[in-house]
Order: sequence, then C-alpha cells, then structure tokens
Amino acid sequence: MKKVLSYILLGASLIVSVSSCNSNDDLGTQEIVIPGVTIDGDIDCCSAEEALQVYNFLQTVKIIPELSTVVDGKYNVFAYSKTGKFHVGYNDIYFVATKKKNGNYIKNYEISGFTPHMLMVKMNMKHSTPVGAGAESFDNNYLAVKRGWISFVMSSSENGSWTLAYNYSVLGSKGTTDEKDITVDALPDGQQWLKSFKVGNDTYYLTLVNPTDYKTGKNSIQAYVSKKSTPATTPYALASEQFVIEIDPRMPDMGNHTSPGNQSLLLQDDGSYLGNVNLTMTGRWRIHLTVKDINGNVVAGGDDLSDGYSSLYWDVTI
Amino acid sequence: MLITALLTTVLVTDTVTLDKVNNLDEVLIVSNEGGKRTRSVKGQVASIDEHLGELRRVNLVRRGSYAWEPVVNNMQTERLSTTIDGMKIFYACTDKMDPVTSYVESGNLQSISLNSGLDGNPQATGNIGGSLDLKLRKVGFDSDPSHFNVSAGHEWNGHLQVYGADAAFSGSRAYLNTGLFWRDADNYRTGGGEVLNYSQFSKVNAFANAGLRLSGSDILESTLIFDRATNVGYPALNMDVSKAQGFISSVSYKHRFRGAGWETKVYYNHIIHIMDDTTRPDVAIHMDMPGDSRTTGLYSLFTTSLGGESRAQHDLAVNYDLYYNRLFADMTMYPGGAAPMYMVTWPDVGTFNTGLAVTDNVSIDDRQSLRLSGKLAWQQQRLNNEEGYHGQKVFFPLMTDYYHQTTGRIAANYQFSFFNSQFSIGTGWGSRAPTVTEAYGYYLNNTFDQYDYIGNPHLKNESAFELNANSQFSILNFQFGFDANVFLFKDYIIGRLDDRLSAMTVGAEGVKVYRNLDHATISNLSLTADWQLTERLAWSGKVSYSLGRDDEDNPLPLISPVSWRTELEYSYRHLQTRVEVKGNADQTDYAARYGETKTPAWNIVNLSAAYQFSISNFQFIIRAGVENLFDKNYSSYSDWNNIPQKGRNIYLNLTFEL
Repeated sequence: MKKVLSYILLGASLIVSVSSCNSNDDLGTQEIVIPGVTIDGDIDCCSAEEALQVYNFLQTVKIIPELSTVVDGKYNVFAYSKTGKFHVGYNDIYFVATKKKNGNYIKNYEISGFTPHMLMVKMNMKHSTPVGAGAESFDNNYLAVKRGWISFVMSSSENGSWTLAYNYSVLGSKGTTDEKDITVDALPDGQQWLKSFKVGNDTYYLTLVNPTDYKTGKNSIQAYVSKKSTPATTPYALASEQFVIEIDPRMPDMGNHTSPGNQSLLLQDDGSYLGNVNLTMTGRWRIHLTVKDINGNVVAGGDDLSDGYSSLYWDVTI
Repeated sequence: MLITALLTTVLVTDTVTLDKVNNLDEVLIVSNEGGKRTRSVKGQVASIDEHLGELRRVNLVRRGSYAWEPVVNNMQTERLSTTIDGMKIFYACTDKMDPVTSYVESGNLQSISLNSGLDGNPQATGNIGGSLDLKLRKVGFDSDPSHFNVSAGHEWNGHLQVYGADAAFSGSRAYLNTGLFWRDADNYRTGGGEVLNYSQFSKVNAFANAGLRLSGSDILESTLIFDRATNVGYPALNMDVSKAQGFISSVSYKHRFRGAGWETKVYYNHIIHIMDDTTRPDVAIHMDMPGDSRTTGLYSLFTTSLGGESRAQHDLAVNYDLYYNRLFADMTMYPGGAAPMYMVTWPDVGTFNTGLAVTDNVSIDDRQSLRLSGKLAWQQQRLNNEEGYHGQKVFFPLMTDYYHQTTGRIAANYQFSFFNSQFSIGTGWGSRAPTVTEAYGYYLNNTFDQYDYIGNPHLKNESAFELNANSQFSILNFQFGFDANVFLFKDYIIGRLDDRLSAMTVGAEGVKVYRNLDHATISNLSLTADWQLTERLAWSGKVSYSLGRDDEDNPLPLISPVSWRTELEYSYRHLQTRVEVKGNADQTDYAARYGETKTPAWNIVNLSAAYQFSISNFQFIIRAGVENLFDKNYSSYSDWNNIPQKGRNIYLNLTFEL
C-alpha cells in the first residue's frame, strides 16, 4: 500500500515538475525592456507610453550615423531616414534627442537651419539645395520625433561631395553641428523627382514628395517649390511666389496612356503644394508639368514638345 | 417535359426523352438507337463546338479552331447560363477565350440541352437568351455489364487527330463510366490553301462518372473531369494560350420517394487559364495574363408528379441552389528595359449566389399543356483585391468593395396540338446581374472593336421581356415549322465609348465603359421545312432572320445575318449520305457603331456519309465527309475579326464498340 502511494506521489510530482517547465522563460525576464524608455517622472522626457510609440516608430526608419551629434556632453541628437541614406530628390529626415545619462527621449528640442553644401571639386564651386525650414513634430503619437526634409539636386560622385550641418537647441543648449560628410545616392532609372525651371534670372526647383508611396489608384501628390538663393551656398528656401502646377501623368512605355480625374497641385498653408494623381497600374509614369503663375500665365513646362507633352516632368516608377 | 426528362435521365434510366415543348432543344452525343434526334454528322468524335452547332438556336463565335463561344438567340455568354449537369462553372479568361463548354469533351457527355429564352433549367441563373446544360454520360444501373468504345478521327485539313477510349460498367449496385480523350491539330488551311497561323491546339481529357446504389431508393453519384488544353492558338487575337485547365468534381445523393425524387449535389470546379504571347513575332510588349476561377456550390432538386388521370397532371420541380465563385485575373506587361507594369484585371471578385426555382409542367389534357417556371436569386459580390479595387476607384470614386443584387425570372408557355400540328406561345420576364467583366473588368482589350473596356460597378440589372411563338404543321409527308421570339430589353448592358479616357493597350482605339442602354431589342425568326420524298430520301431546309437594335435604333453587334441551311439525305439500311448547303446573306445590318465590319455573303457545300456494320460482337461506324467541298475562302459574321474558316476538309472517323 505504501509502495503504491509512493509511486503515485512520484508520478504526480513528475507530472507537476515536467508540465510546469517550458522554454518561454529560458532567456530574459518578464519585464518589457525598451531601450530609451524612461521611467515616468522626468518632466523633460516622454512618458513610458509615449516612449514606446517613439521606439516603435524608430523601428521603421534607419539611423544615419554620420549625422548624430553630442550636445554639451549631456544630450544626443540622432538623425534617421527611411533607408539610413540619402538619395537625389526629396528625403525625409527624422530626429530624436535623448538624455545621455539614461537614454530618455526629450520632448522639447529644436532642429533647424539645414545647411547642405555640394563642393564641386573640378570647378571649385559650392552650392546648396532645396531644404525645408526645420524639423517639426508630425504625428501626435510620437511628438518627440521631428521631421524635416532636404531635396538634393545631384548625387555624390567623384566630381563633388555633399556636407550637411544643422542647428540644434536641446533644453537650453544651442549650437550648430560641423559640416558632416554625407553620401547622396543617384536614383535608379525611371525615377526623377526633382526638376528645375527658370523664370527670368530666377531658378526654381520642383520637389516631388515621397512618390515611392504611390499605389495603383488615387494618390495624393505633394510637392514643394523652392527658389535658388544668392549666393547659391545659402540653402534654397520655399519660393515666396505662388504657382499652380498642372499635371498630366503618362506612361511612355504604354503609348502615353493616361488616367482621368487628376487634380492640379495648389499651394497649402504649410507651404507645400497638394493635388491628386491617379495611376491606373504599376510601372513607369511620367508626370508632365505645366507651371502657371497666380494669373494663369504659363511660366514653365506646358511647351508641348514634338511628342505633344511638356518637357518639364517628374518620372515615377511604382 | 423537361422535368420528366430530368427524372428519367437521372433516376430511372439514361434514355433521354425529347421534350415536346419547342423551347427545349437537345443535341445527342451518344447514339441511342431510334428516334429522330439532332446529332452531328461527325458522330461522337465531333468536337463539343460542332455538337453545339447542331442546336437550332445556337451560333458560335470563333476565335480560332478551339473553344468556340456559344451564342443562343443571338446572345453571348453574358446573357446565357451554362451548367454541367446543373453545376455552375465560370470561365477564367478575361478575353473570353475559354467558354466553359471548352472544359469538357464530347465523350464526357450524353447530350446537351438548351432551354431557349427565359424558361431556364432549374439551376440556371441570369439566363435571358437561354440556358445550356451539358448532361454527363452515365450508363446507370442494370445496363450492359460492360461496354467499350474506341474512336479515332482524322481531318486532313490541319491534320486534326482525335483519339478516344471509354468504358462503361454497369451492375445493379454500381456503375462506372470512364474515358480518356486526346485531340491535336496543326494550323489549318483556309479556302485557297493558305495556312492560317496560330490555329493549332492540343487537348487531353479524362473523366469518370460513378454511381453506387445504397438501397432500393438511395443512390450516390460522383463525377470527376480533368481537362487540359495546351498550345492553343487564337488567330483572331494577339495572344495564344499555353494552358487552359479545368478540374470538375461533384458528389450527389439521390433519394426516390413514391412518385417523387430528390437530388442533392455538391460540387467544386477550378479553372486555370494562362495566356501566352511568347510564340508571336513582333510583340510590342510581352504580357502575362493568367486567370483563375473557382466555384463551389450545391443544388437540391425535388421533383414530383401530382394529379393525372382525369385531372390535369402537374410535373413539379423545386430547386434550391447556391454557389460561391472567385474570379481573379491580372496582367503584367514587360516593356523592354523599363519596369514591368502590373494591373489587376478582375479584382478577385467573390460572388455568393443563392436562388430558388420552381417549374411546373401542366398536362391539361391530351392536346394542351402549360409550362410555368420561375426563379428568384440573390447574390452578393465582394472585391477581395485592394489593388484592383483602388484602380477602378479612379474611374468610379464612389464605388465600394461590396455589392448585392436580386434577380429573377418567370416564364409561361402554352402548347396546343391538333391533327398533326402543334402551336405554342410563351412569354417571360427576367433579369440578370452584370457580369464581373461588365461591373469590375479593368482595361480588358477587345480585339473585335479594338477598344479597351472598363467595367462599371454602378450598372443596373439588365432585364428583358420575351414573347415567343412557334408552330409545326404536317401535311402528308411535308412538315412546315415556324419559330419566332422577341426580347425587349430594359437597361441593356453594352460598352460605350468614353472619349475622355485614354487607351491602355498599345494600338487600341480608345476606352469603352459598360453602360445600361435604356432599351434594346433582339428578335429571331426561323422557318423550317422537312419533306420525306421517299422512304430513303429526305429533304430539309431552314432560313433564319435576326434583328438587334439598340436604344437609338442602331444595329447591335454579333447578330446573325439571314442564314440558311438545306440538306438532302439519302438513307439505305446502314448507310446514310447527305449533301448540305449552308450559307449567309450579306451582313447588311452590321453594327458599325459597335466596331463591327460587314461580312459578305457565303455559301458552302458539305458532303457526309456514315456506314454502320458489325462483325460478330463488334460494331463499327465509319463516318467520312468533305466540308467546304469547293474550297471557298470565307468567314462568317461570328468569326472574330473575320478570320477565315477552314478550306476544303476531308475527314474520316471510326468508332468501334464492344
């Protein structure tokens, strides 16, 4: 009887011990650990919840190591882009600032004064490129992330190289970074997102925003019009003149097939131009442009070359 | 009546009784001895398209040598229902290169029945022009224990070879039909001897129908068909087909009550269709255009007879059916060097359809009968592909990804006979939902009129009111027949040019969008005469006239010009010979507005002979003939882009039965 009882006990303890062990706790603890997440109570910084949102967003972008900077030995500023690199045409740049001692995301800081420079070695000439005014918060879920943009007119090559500097102001510490070397890649074939036109002696740049997000169907199309500065080393700010940009999307590989219902880009309060473009399929689209001034006079494009279309266009391949 | 036909076919034996209602037409594929039935002169070896061509109200749209599209009462697939033994099946090619009749082989079938107009078979939905039901070959219980059939055919023009072998086994508890068929053709020569490129094809087909008697009144039946066509050329189109594959399956359960029958069938079929332009020279942009269609469904049919004796007899059928179909097609274009271009042409549309049909055949007395039929169906459609949905939303910003439609039909036919003559008049009303192509098709290029077509999700249901009348008078050995119908459409669906839109296909003229026309009319009239000159010699003739008009009185496309066919047949014992002349008049009433061009008149002469003999237990049938005896170069109005028909063609078919 005793023997039976001990067998039962042995069996029971075996079942309990075996069934209570699993592999889920082999590594790590049960606490959720997020780098940069702060403990509530630091008034400069995000709450744990906000920090989680920031963290999640940062998983979708890649850091640009050469643009990181240390502010007064106390703070870090990190810059990101979608690919961790820059390319010709429009680029979003995202910033976060953290406290060095604990990695907390700082809520209030300013990034401004993007100063990109291209040094053209052979001509020993320096010029800048269109930029946005500064970095701003753009999503209420993660206000601590700020976004700015730069639109590069050319790629880095043996003929010339790019540098970028920016101003920061983090919890009272202000300054400007060094001119840091950056690399700007060329766009692949079938992509041309930045075009220029001249009105008198003034040169304007048409920057198409993030066309890689386009899908088959109706797409909102956003662009900026920037004006070349004098001297050319000063970053090119948004043009103060107002234009209307008419679009005519065509597929050159499909006998210039087009789509109906496209809407011209009109100036918005935030300084960008917004319209709608309809894309009936994937592939290469050439968005022919006619730029008109506020009185409806054509100032660029709309010249109907021998093929019947404007010589001013963006190329987008989706 | 139709229902008795169904009952007898399905529950008792496989003798197909010909319906006495003139709206029903049937072509027999397997030769059951006796009776005057429509049958192709090429016998069983004839392609399914050739069998279809024997039906009175059927024309065929031909895009090549293979997969012709049946047209009934001058209405195409959109306005027809095609079922295989009551099973719904939907083609998978956005260019209609694969009418569902191409996924079976004549050897799979017992017969093809056609209900003209709105009086459809119980499973038919959306049939305005008519409903075709392909009846599968089932030997049934307690037939010959075993029966073997081997056939071979050769046609010299195009080197068409047909080989088939099938077997039937029957017992009191089980039966099985099974067979294997193969067809292969090279390019054919048109009248005058020129080779028509891309008119080749190759096809294999295997099938099995089996039945198991569970008890005296319970039967389980099952069907499997596998059909694959490869290397199919379409001389009328810019693309060929590398593979068109169909898989058809079903299981049904039948129970017989006293004086009633009940059949429930579940089925599944899957079609894969792959277009191919790699064999064509000078292709501006190479394209991949696959299509996929899957249908799952069931129907449950209850049939019974009431009354009789002194009272009127009712043969009543009640059918409930439902099906779910998924249709997806896309297109990838490869311009040299540049990025591929991709679009979804059928946005993975899921259609769930369910309906209830009632048919009553009333035998009022010996001379009068009445047939009543009606069906109410409801369907919902969901667009499951985001990309396709957003693409079409460019054109219809207010469209949604979900729609539902209710359709119905009702028809009555009264028949009266006296002496040796019969009269019947009928009427009906019915509606159909727009097809997936009409509602959601995206830049589908139609090589007939060279326009790209865009579906319109905001289409209304199309409906039609039908009137029909026919009669047969017999005087001595002379028989005269008359058959007429008229369809008055409301919200007729057809593509109309929208010149604001830009064509996609290189070389296309523009873009058409499907629209509802306020009204349209299609009417058909045919006169037939049969004369039994002597016991051995018979003459028959037929003339048909059709008319189609849109809302502005313009001709509709693909409406037959005046056509005729006359035959002189000589039969002596086991020999049958026939001279046939058929032709069309000038197509004076062609639809220029819809991109149709005029097809000139033509006449051809065909000769055929069949001889049947037996050596001990083996039975042989030899069929031989010459088609287009004078090697005339011609094309008919329904030859897509007027591709020329076959020139002189000599054929020889052998069938051997055991």
